[in-house]
Amino acid sequence: MLAELQFDSLQEFLAMGGYAFNVWSVYALFAVFVFANLALPLRRRRLILRRLAARGDLAQSPAAAEQSGWEVSTVGEELQEQQREQKEQREQEEQGTKP
Amino acid sequence: MAGRWQWLHRLGSPRWFYATTTRWLPWLAGAMALLLAVGTVWALLYLPPDYQQGDTSRILVVHVAVAGASLSFFPLMAVAGTVTLVWRIKLADMVAKNAAPLGAWFSFLTLATGSIWGSVSWGTWWEWTDSRLVSMLFQFFLLLGVISLRAALDNSATAARACALLSIVGCINVVVIKYSVQWWNTLHQPPSPISMQVGSPNGPEFWVATAIMAVAVYLFLALSLILATRNEILERESKAQWVRELALGAT
Amino acid sequence: MMKPHRRKRLGLIVFIAVGMSIAAALTLFALRQNINMFYSPSQVAAGEVGAGELFRVGGMVKNGSVEQAQDSLAVRFVATDFVHDVAVDYEGILPDLFREGQGIVAEGRLDSAGVFQASRVLAKHDENYMSPEVKAALEQAGISPGKHRFRSAPEN
Repeated sequence: MLAELQFDSLQEFLAMGGYAFNVWSVYALFAVFVFANLALPLRRRRLILRRLAARGDLAQSPAAAEQSGWEVSTVGEELQEQQREQKEQREQEEQGTKP
Repeated sequence: MAGRWQWLHRLGSPRWFYATTTRWLPWLAGAMALLLAVGTVWALLYLPPDYQQGDTSRILVVHVAVAGASLSFFPLMAVAGTVTLVWRIKLADMVAKNAAPLGAWFSFLTLATGSIWGSVSWGTWWEWTDSRLVSMLFQFFLLLGVISLRAALDNSATAARACALLSIVGCINVVVIKYSVQWWNTLHQPPSPISMQVGSPNGPEFWVATAIMAVAVYLFLALSLILATRNEILERESKAQWVRELALGAT
Repeated sequence: MMKPHRRKRLGLIVFIAVGMSIAAALTLFALRQNINMFYSPSQVAAGEVGAGELFRVGGMVKNGSVEQAQDSLAVRFVATDFVHDVAVDYEGILPDLFREGQGIVAEGRLDSAGVFQASRVLAKHDENYMSPEVKAALEQAGISPGKHRFRSAPEN
């Protein structure tokens, strides 16, 4: 059989065949590891968003972005631009058919 | 920008990454939670004890899953680093930057769980003469080195390039960790063979729990790294219009 | 096609990676005997270890070779790689996995009689997993369940 319950009582389960300290400390460490590496980024996200919302600075100028040494990705902006144009076009068409 | 490599630039758009992962996150978190629960319950309650190790073999379900995933950090950082060095795409570096501390956690947990198992099975917590143990400790220090290197350099682009190069070179150590138990005499055992037949040595009743846990741990790795990278995007792109709109909308 | 300056950068990365790999491989090859954790009984028999030198020997505990003293923790057993044997003397607590037919690594020195005086004995668990029932069934069927295999590093 692939999987059978290995313990007859709770005491037996907690005792882990005499290796309670080793087994349980490993699973405790594992739980802390999983929890910490999810909870900390989520907490940091809340702090960042709160800080950003409280601050209202201007958009980064293209010249400053160029100087940073990184390739400037404009894909997001391009997509946004495209969508805006399409939306305007649709609205114009709708307005055109109404009167 | 046109040409064969344009997809890389599209993929490298922080905004695209943020929007795509927003859709993925619930599925990723759900699958991880489910597999983590199944793997843990199976390992603690249903895994048959090994005739030699007894219940300490339950430790190895966690140890093997975490150790295996810990080897993926340097290759991941090396790929991201190569993209950083060659194409100067910011997103790749954001992933690499956040992979280093997570990798250090993984390496530390591998060492700690192995040590706790070894104290019973081997009769020692640590052996400086075992190449598997020492090369894994080296990976932990190497990751701390990558983190310190980035912290020490003020210019983000210079820091990214230096870390990228260290990550590429660090991949050599991953090969050493993996093959140490085959190339040299070690106290650490080589990888276990897998048998498909229930009731035979190394049968599925021994490795299915570990396999489930391994998938769960990889999902956890992805989830944690994505969450950290999204924070990095919000910080580094804090001046972009879409981030400001997002911050205003979220509060 | 990739832009020329990018191709140049990629080429440089590949060059550095290949160069460092070769350097690492040569270093590890040169240090191979120092990296090995233990000598096999055959290497000991071949006189690879100097007299009185502190070293580790690894092998299987030979079946039926363990002699436990009645009034102390002293134990004598034979470590073997199925080609050569090394007699080991040890006094102290043995690890939980110390058993006949199980791999061990002992640290100590050879005495003038050629007996290994161990100051430490570690158990080397192998890569096989079996439930007690499977182990019993295999033994009943007269199959030695693969635990006898003791791999020592390839010839150096």
